[in-house]
Amino acid sequence: MSLSEGAVLAGLGVGLISAVGEVHVVKPAAALPEWSKDGGDADAKKVALREAIDAVSKHLDELGEKAGGTSAEIFDALKMFLEDDELIDMANDAIDEGWSAAAAYGKSVDTFGELIGGDPTFAERVADLQDLSKRVQAHLAGIELGLELPETGSIILVGEDFSPADTAQFTPAVVGVITTKGGPTSHTAIICRSRSIAAVVSCAGAKDLADGDLVLVDPVGDRVVLSGDASLATKPISFIAVNDKPVIPVRANIGTLNDAEEAAKTDAEGVGLFRTELLYLSAATAPSVSEQTASYAAILTAAPVGPIVVRTIDAGSDKPVPFLNMPHEENPSLGVRGFRLIVEHRSFIEDQLRSLEAARQQTGREVWVMAPMIATLDETKQFAELARSIGKFKVGIMVETPSIAALVDQLGSVVDFVSIGTNDLSQYLFAADRMNPSLGALLNHWQPALIRTLARIAAGGENGGFSVGVCGESASDPAFAVVLAGLGISSVSVSRSQVAAVRNALESLNLGTAKEIANKVLKATSAEEAKAIALDALASL
Amino acid sequence: MSLIKGVVEVLDPIGLHARPASQIVKLVKESGLEIEIGREGEEFAKANSALRLMSLQIKPNEKLTVTVATDDSTLGQSLIAQIQEFLKG
Repeated sequence: MSLSEGAVLAGLGVGLISAVGEVHVVKPAAALPEWSKDGGDADAKKVALREAIDAVSKHLDELGEKAGGTSAEIFDALKMFLEDDELIDMANDAIDEGWSAAAAYGKSVDTFGELIGGDPTFAERVADLQDLSKRVQAHLAGIELGLELPETGSIILVGEDFSPADTAQFTPAVVGVITTKGGPTSHTAIICRSRSIAAVVSCAGAKDLADGDLVLVDPVGDRVVLSGDASLATKPISFIAVNDKPVIPVRANIGTLNDAEEAAKTDAEGVGLFRTELLYLSAATAPSVSEQTASYAAILTAAPVGPIVVRTIDAGSDKPVPFLNMPHEENPSLGVRGFRLIVEHRSFIEDQLRSLEAARQQTGREVWVMAPMIATLDETKQFAELARSIGKFKVGIMVETPSIAALVDQLGSVVDFVSIGTNDLSQYLFAADRMNPSLGALLNHWQPALIRTLARIAAGGENGGFSVGVCGESASDPAFAVVLAGLGISSVSVSRSQVAAVRNALESLNLGTAKEIANKVLKATSAEEAKAIALDALASL
Repeated sequence: MSLIKGVVEVLDPIGLHARPASQIVKLVKESGLEIEIGREGEEFAKANSALRLMSLQIKPNEKLTVTVATDDSTLGQSLIAQIQEFLKG
């Protein structure tokens, strides 16, 4: 079915920026075929294998030319592996035994991977080899790997959903992204928001878009319009700042030193979420306390003025830290992750807190620490005692599980603060896997059940005398941030690209008005209604 | 055809890794000669495969024997000397 000019496709908007561009449809890469003995003509299969190797080799030449300089040498070295004489001899022998060309090459690479893999110096080479093996097998099966995006122009990518491997290949030509599946907390949404790429997710109708269609991605209007007319974009509510301070503080989310430096250029009041796992994800062995202290001290020094809320390691088997040796799990998001790692890796978590305390002393910054994935009061006490025994921190927890949300009124004497991770709280509250692209609509932060849960947590904080922040993606939506303030949330923490927009919204009204709006929103019976009520109220400010 | 033999020492601090292995294979292919490398007393590897050379897992400071199948001893010695250069890191 083709769409006519002016057709409107509904979805969930991400961010406030709209974009016009040409559609570039990305089909999901099919799985590589299983290895088998297919019994075909051995000579023909050897020729096919040679052709596939030559094609990959040519592709590496192109990549090398594009990269130029020293990177070109890397591609030369990769070619040497790809076309290795003994590798090809071994593959040809396997073809003679009846294996398919793809299986023969794949098995031979595995053999060499094992032979050289015992040496840690070769770990990356083995990964390179396996990547080459996949490319050869994909070529043999006629499967396209990689996105092959142009560097210039204005393209709107359309696909089911995009993985981290896909988004890493986005070029400057990608001005907009539309996904047919995937929700507002999907990887695609988070990346597009942080890079200021226009995006509409959960847009089922986009499956009918074709390459070359000129479309307007209109996130504020939660829609895609088949038109090249940028003036059709829905205008975001223009909040007019009337106060010089937001009704609640707006902090920044960071994960790296670069994030801290960039966040310091915004008006963020400190850091509301420092994701520490990024420091460990690529380490083969546990960094020493002095190495960790140095990393933390650099980040604390660079961070924007204000308190810095540090989340202890939030790894799980889906986000594994190599040196923690995490076994495979059926349901990683319901598994051993976050603070649950303390059972097996107590000394690692203690070292992390020790490093943070040393960095705090060196830099003189105000550091708050919190543990992720806390489900019981007992775990809360365990973490609070541990953190207080190690350093002079304000101590808190993430509220992500419905179980701890139900106990908020019991946290008063235990914690100094809590921070709500709305992405995971939505996932657990709605029993909707964040990774499942078909469930995006349940993870919409305007869902009444989420808003009511947030209201209860905020009230629990007020009664118990501790502060309640929100650091999920939801806080990056300026209209939603106003609702959060009205619900009694005491601070929000957002991607640094959203600090100005969220701050502006929170400067446009006083707390009383925010409360009135929140009270109206609490009566909504659907996500669409909740959003419409909030936008109406904000528009008539 | 006679076999020219020589001993080289791996001075590269990482051992016989990807770059020297690739350099050796390139040299061997350009020479068109049959060249083998290995530890004395063990099976030698044909030096036309970087992966095979890397699978020997040769560590820094190991001594290796190189054989070149050629009657031109000057050429043979010169190839061995070049291989030694690649192993200096």
